Amino acid sequence: MALVEVESEVTGTVWKVETAVGDVVEEGDVLLILESMKMEIPVESPVSGTVADLLVQPEDPVREDQVLALVEA
Amino acid sequence: MSWEPEVQELNRRRHLAKQQGGPTGIAKQHARGRLTIRERIATLLDPGTFQEHGKATATPDYDANDQPTGFVPANYVVGFGAIDGRRVVVGGEDFTLKGGSPNAAGLRKSVYAEHLAVQYKAPLVRMLEGGGGSVKGGARRGGTVGEPVFSAPRFRIIADAMGQVPIASIAAGAVAGFPAGRLVASHFSVMTRHTAQILIGGPALVERALGVKLTKDELGGAHIHAKSGIVDNVAEDEADAFAQTRRFLSYLPSHIGERAPRRPCDDNPNRMEPELLTAVPREDNAGFDMRAIVRCVMDVDSFFELGAEFGPSQIAGLARLAGQPVGVLANDCRVYAGAMTAQAAQKYRRFVEMCDTFHLPIVNFVDQPGFMIGPEAERAGTIRYGMAAVCAAAQASVPWASIQVHKGFGVATAAHYAPGAYVLAWPSVQSGALPLEGGVAVAFHREIEGAADPAAKRLELEERLRAARSPFPRAESFAVHELIDPRETRPVLCEWIEWIQPLLEDLTGATTFPMRP
Repeated sequence: MALVEVESEVTGTVWKVETAVGDVVEEGDVLLILESMKMEIPVESPVSGTVADLLVQPEDPVREDQVLALVEA
Repeated sequence: MSWEPEVQELNRRRHLAKQQGGPTGIAKQHARGRLTIRERIATLLDPGTFQEHGKATATPDYDANDQPTGFVPANYVVGFGAIDGRRVVVGGEDFTLKGGSPNAAGLRKSVYAEHLAVQYKAPLVRMLEGGGGSVKGGARRGGTVGEPVFSAPRFRIIADAMGQVPIASIAAGAVAGFPAGRLVASHFSVMTRHTAQILIGGPALVERALGVKLTKDELGGAHIHAKSGIVDNVAEDEADAFAQTRRFLSYLPSHIGERAPRRPCDDNPNRMEPELLTAVPREDNAGFDMRAIVRCVMDVDSFFELGAEFGPSQIAGLARLAGQPVGVLANDCRVYAGAMTAQAAQKYRRFVEMCDTFHLPIVNFVDQPGFMIGPEAERAGTIRYGMAAVCAAAQASVPWASIQVHKGFGVATAAHYAPGAYVLAWPSVQSGALPLEGGVAVAFHREIEGAADPAAKRLELEERLRAARSPFPRAESFAVHELIDPRETRPVLCEWIEWIQPLLEDLTGATTFPMRP
């Protein structure tokens, strides 16, 4: 069991959070969707596991490399 | 009187030179999970093809009676070999000796590698592991110091070689100082994920100079340099690094006087993939998978991406179309909508210069919203690197095809076209000076501000302009060569590959502007 940090590749804002803490996710499942440069940018889980924490909510500004969520692999 | 005694002594020395750092040095190298330089060379090359240059190079020790007491092999191994039956020059430091730091003959041999590759017109593969110079060598007093003032610049050959033969560098251990400089002076560089670090100066130097305590890995591990762009690719292990190097070289000619090797192709040039029709969503803001599009169009399994984590809004890589090696550029709208950041622009310029140097045709899948904007982009000096990318394309000499997939806005879009480009457009194309959303707010600001409900007015104007957007005028006006069904992209490009064959014949030789690190 390891906590995996999910980072933002871009600077932008959180548009939608698609999962909740405790959800079981597969690798590649969309955890949340960011908006940057007028594009919707899905943030996928890098591993299969359980969503351990969501560190942002809709409309939060996010920066490149910011940790958005933790997934327990 | 025979020369038998000397020949026996020569054979003994050749044997000693191959002992590297001895059983202890070799065991230490293996314990670190790494191969020795001789094992690396044997694994990279076609079996039995290595022909070493300088088989008996060493630093011997003598006793008072001039009798040899010890024999330290030169710590750089270099020679000819073959990869997929094609000639290459290969060289690398022997880390089992003095941590790869050069001894006298080792230094000479390392400098010789570039000369050998250029002289005999063969690609160069460097296997780097070492720390560069050491102050120990500079401690002598008296006598002459430094290089003569009339010496040719020592690094001239490093620069010249990049304009003559393909150069690939592999970092398979700690690479610091000048070897790190050699690594980036390459057309392709790769480091192993767990056993390599690349450092200008190591932890001891950094702590002394800056008071910052960091490990080699924290300073220059794969997680740092995949993103810094210092290496193109990361390999899982040494075998993977060799496989990637062999693959990279398969797309390139052996030298600039030769054409890139076209292979027989068993993928149907007229293959039309149905999913291309739905690859770009009709909704402006929805992203899509550009790499999937590239893979659908290129020969099956031929796309080899370079530098995926550096400047990730821009995709660059090598591929084949109807067996012809091509350079592929494409925007990834999932990172900053595909905008040209400072890093993406640097990646773009270097890639165009590499294709130009080796006369590889370029196929460009355009979805360019413009240069990246915002405070970070301004601080990064984006516009300068962006214009360097635009200039590289404007002066490119290779055959070039651009497919307008989606967006094409602003000056950055100019980087996607070279002189004589063959221009195709998909029905999903949009273009102009500025994207609709931002552009409407600027162009119609009086009308919007004067409206009772400015936000509603802005949306209404955007909607009206969006409805008026149509791909057909550009076809009618011959602003593109063809507006095509996305499924036709492969057949149309494969036909273009046949048309450009005579042009490729004419292009061999030196370009006016070769690639630089």
